[in-house]
Amino acid sequence: MDLAPYRIGTEPYYQPVGDEIATFEAAYTERLPVMLKGPTGCGKTRFIEYMAWRLSKPLITVAAHEDMTAADLAGRYLLEPAGTVWHDGPLTLAVRYGAICYLDEIVEARQDTTVVIHPLTDARRILPLEKHNEIVPAHPDFQLTISYNPGYQSAVKDLKESTKQRFVAIDFGYPPPATEAAIIVCESGTDDDLAGILVAIAQCSRNLQGHGLDEGASTRMLIHAGRMVRAGLPLEAAVRTSIVLPITDDLDIRAALSDAIRACLP
Amino acid sequence: MRQRETLRPIFRTAWDDLSHYFDPAELEAWAGAVLELAHVNAGPACLIAYWDASKSNAARKEIAPLLVAAQMAADICRYAGAQAATSALNALPAAVRSLGGGAALARWWQVMNVLARRAPESVLPVAIHMSEIIAPGRIDAFENFVAAGLRAASGDKARRVAFFMLQDELARRLIARDLDSVSFLEAETELKAFLIALWGRLPLLRSFSADNSQQAQRRTAIAGPLIRMPEVFRGVQGDAARALFRAAAAHAQAHLVLSADLFPVGTLKPLQIALVNLIEDARIETLAMRQFPGLRRLWAPYHIAVPSGVIAAPTLLARLARALFDPAYADEAGFVAKGRAMFEAAQPRIADPAISREIGMLLGNDLGQMRVQFNVKTYVVEPVYRDDGLGLWDFGQDAPPSGDVVELPIQAVRMERREDGSTDDADSESNEQDASPRRARPVAPDHRGVVIARYPEWDRAHAIERPEWTLVREVAASIGDDRKIEEALGRADALRSHIGRLVRSVKIGRTIRLNRQHEGHDLDIDAVLDAGIALRVGHAPDPRVFRSAKSLHRDLAALLLIDVSESTSDRLPSGATILDVERLAVAVLAEAMERLGDPFSLLAFASDGREDIKMTTVKSFAEPYDRSSMARLAGLKSGLSTRLGAALRHAGHLIGKTTAARRLLIVLTDSEPSDIDVSDPLELIEDARRAAVGLHAAGTNAYGVVLGKAGIAASSRIFGRGNSMMVQRIEDLPNRLSELYFRLARR
Repeated sequence: MDLAPYRIGTEPYYQPVGDEIATFEAAYTERLPVMLKGPTGCGKTRFIEYMAWRLSKPLITVAAHEDMTAADLAGRYLLEPAGTVWHDGPLTLAVRYGAICYLDEIVEARQDTTVVIHPLTDARRILPLEKHNEIVPAHPDFQLTISYNPGYQSAVKDLKESTKQRFVAIDFGYPPPATEAAIIVCESGTDDDLAGILVAIAQCSRNLQGHGLDEGASTRMLIHAGRMVRAGLPLEAAVRTSIVLPITDDLDIRAALSDAIRACLP
Repeated sequence: MRQRETLRPIFRTAWDDLSHYFDPAELEAWAGAVLELAHVNAGPACLIAYWDASKSNAARKEIAPLLVAAQMAADICRYAGAQAATSALNALPAAVRSLGGGAALARWWQVMNVLARRAPESVLPVAIHMSEIIAPGRIDAFENFVAAGLRAASGDKARRVAFFMLQDELARRLIARDLDSVSFLEAETELKAFLIALWGRLPLLRSFSADNSQQAQRRTAIAGPLIRMPEVFRGVQGDAARALFRAAAAHAQAHLVLSADLFPVGTLKPLQIALVNLIEDARIETLAMRQFPGLRRLWAPYHIAVPSGVIAAPTLLARLARALFDPAYADEAGFVAKGRAMFEAAQPRIADPAISREIGMLLGNDLGQMRVQFNVKTYVVEPVYRDDGLGLWDFGQDAPPSGDVVELPIQAVRMERREDGSTDDADSESNEQDASPRRARPVAPDHRGVVIARYPEWDRAHAIERPEWTLVREVAASIGDDRKIEEALGRADALRSHIGRLVRSVKIGRTIRLNRQHEGHDLDIDAVLDAGIALRVGHAPDPRVFRSAKSLHRDLAALLLIDVSESTSDRLPSGATILDVERLAVAVLAEAMERLGDPFSLLAFASDGREDIKMTTVKSFAEPYDRSSMARLAGLKSGLSTRLGAALRHAGHLIGKTTAARRLLIVLTDSEPSDIDVSDPLELIEDARRAAVGLHAAGTNAYGVVLGKAGIAASSRIFGRGNSMMVQRIEDLPNRLSELYFRLARR
């Protein structure tokens, strides 16, 4: 099976914040499963794409959601004209042919679905497919990575302890201001001054976390704002549409955030 | 009608004017209205007023309002006299200007009618001052005003007249407040969020009441960590008012973030103090604008000094302030130029507050030697958004005027709140009702509280239940400062957002997925495939190929029983008392429960012998959880003992009256049950255990949360090991209590 469609050809832009690259490489050398933890829009997905490119391995991504069943991951029989044919799911593909399998936002899936990964994440490295009457041993190149936003953690929507403890974790957060500005410049094509202003605006919104906002503006939102400016929108309008309006519906918080943003603008 | 002859030409002119706008039928109706006015002896002045009003309103081409006006004026004449009716008609143009026509005007006439009936002597004053009163332009403001006046005077004619003549402070304040002005309370949430967004620090904002309109607008004041702002900025409305609040709040918070320790007064003279304040204002604003350049736009509109006019200290200071703020402002005065130069020279040391003192002292000296007029009593800081500067000083042992000023607002705020409660509500008296007990039982109350119930108690030694052994009394809750709770909640923001997420996830509630159903909203693919395979193989397929979801429905009532016995006044290493921690835990959980919509109640208990078990209702099932509940929570005080059994029975009785499918009783206590008239602790433990068993039999799930190790053995015995939780680190209580609730509520 050719995994060429899953290979990443060009280097994705990624700005390291700490020692996450070295950590992931060490985990991959040992084929240990990795959990990327952090708020939304902080570069988790970009990071794994970069690492897949750097390690020259194919990357199979699965966006987890609530309706996902174990069969969606492992595979199922499909009824074709010729007969009943087994189709591997994305997880099984990665396991069989040696790709990095990335389960994005794994908390979204129900817990009875995520336990299917347990046999892969301990010393056994096997994927039992009961329906296919097969036990698939993992390819030597196979590795499992998941992403996980702690903000969604709750008594109802959470990883089981037995799942969490199988992983090595890397923390992602908002980059330091200089790095974040560099990222914005690179991803949105704006100049350094504007990137600096956007970072200051993000800091204001992050101050409000817990005091009206669940999460501050992510780096992604700032990149959106930069791109809107590049497309010709004036700065204040771009910031309003990329940051203020999506982040909250509360009129008081919107007003306060808009005022704080105006204070940041020269 | 006596003066018919003199009136006839005026009438004719009016008729002619109106005939341009109205057809004959309408004119006839109008004439009929005039006749009615004449019949009630409204008098010539009134008729003339009516004709004038008709002429000025004729352009609208609607005859109906004119007819209504005549009818209403006639009514007013019947009750309040001709002069009142005349004045009402004279006031009509002002009303029309402010309210327009239509429904609002109809209500205006209604109010005037009511006034004519209930306070006939007041119609004239109201009409005379109509343009001032109606200026807000909102009919409900007018209705509110009249209602407030009638109530405030409560039957006293002289007071009524004084009120409606706007001689009463309250009347003026009502008008001023109802003006499209923005009050502190309205702006508070936004201001708080604004300041947090800028500097990340939780601001402590308070208001002081609107001051006497004779003096200049009182400025924002800093008192320790508090920022005191005026309730209303006079003369500013709408967006401009909000902008002024923002400017003032940002300036004050900049002080708290960027100013260092208080300046010692030493031997400085008032003029020098004023100048040190001015320079310090300029210094912190410069630093703040470096971080947030946009603040310049926020503050600039208020610097309006010009380089001309009288040479007096206030104007010179305002000019200097502007010169330091705005490099483009040109001012030739020597004093201003010198101040500018000194400030410029100190730029390399701008982060050091000492420069303000140095420059301010020297400039203050200069100004003093210039013999410039400076009246310290009437001086206010300019521009209006800046604080009065008194919060930056350490006045030491002297009892300074500023000290009094700082004290006064505290009283004023308290009084203001009471006053607000009595004038804003339609039923002001209900505020007093808050404190008194809700259940009025026939037993005569004595000073210990109203007796509300008698409960039996278990006698362990003789293994019998003594009927009617204990007496439970309802004690009026003392009102505390709900802001303390708000602040404590603000400090615990991480916990609060965590609980908030728990609430949301519970509210949205995950649905249970049911596979392989006979019917449902979706196909269960795996079941479909199995069916297909079965068909191909030749077996009968399983028809359950659908998938459905079921949502969990919450029907849960909870009662929190809080131990406020003497031992809760013990202090923890962090400095807070156990009761403080209990309070915070309850506040966090109450917030969550309110958002979840589960009916809940908060009760505090302490006992003083079997005849006196005091229960304080912080929040009953029926009321909403609001500021007054928080104020009662803040007002709880530690004292007396813990007769848990009686409290459990009473709480069980209360929660038993709710109709929820599940009933949860959570007890917060820090020790084992005890009381002054029972020597053997095992007695009361056993009694509490029987009470808990009784609750369970009645369908209420009782759970004990014990703070510290002391009570855990007793609690296990009372509630059962599975229904007991020990919180060893009491500071963890807020977190663990909420988690417990969510866990219990899920089962």
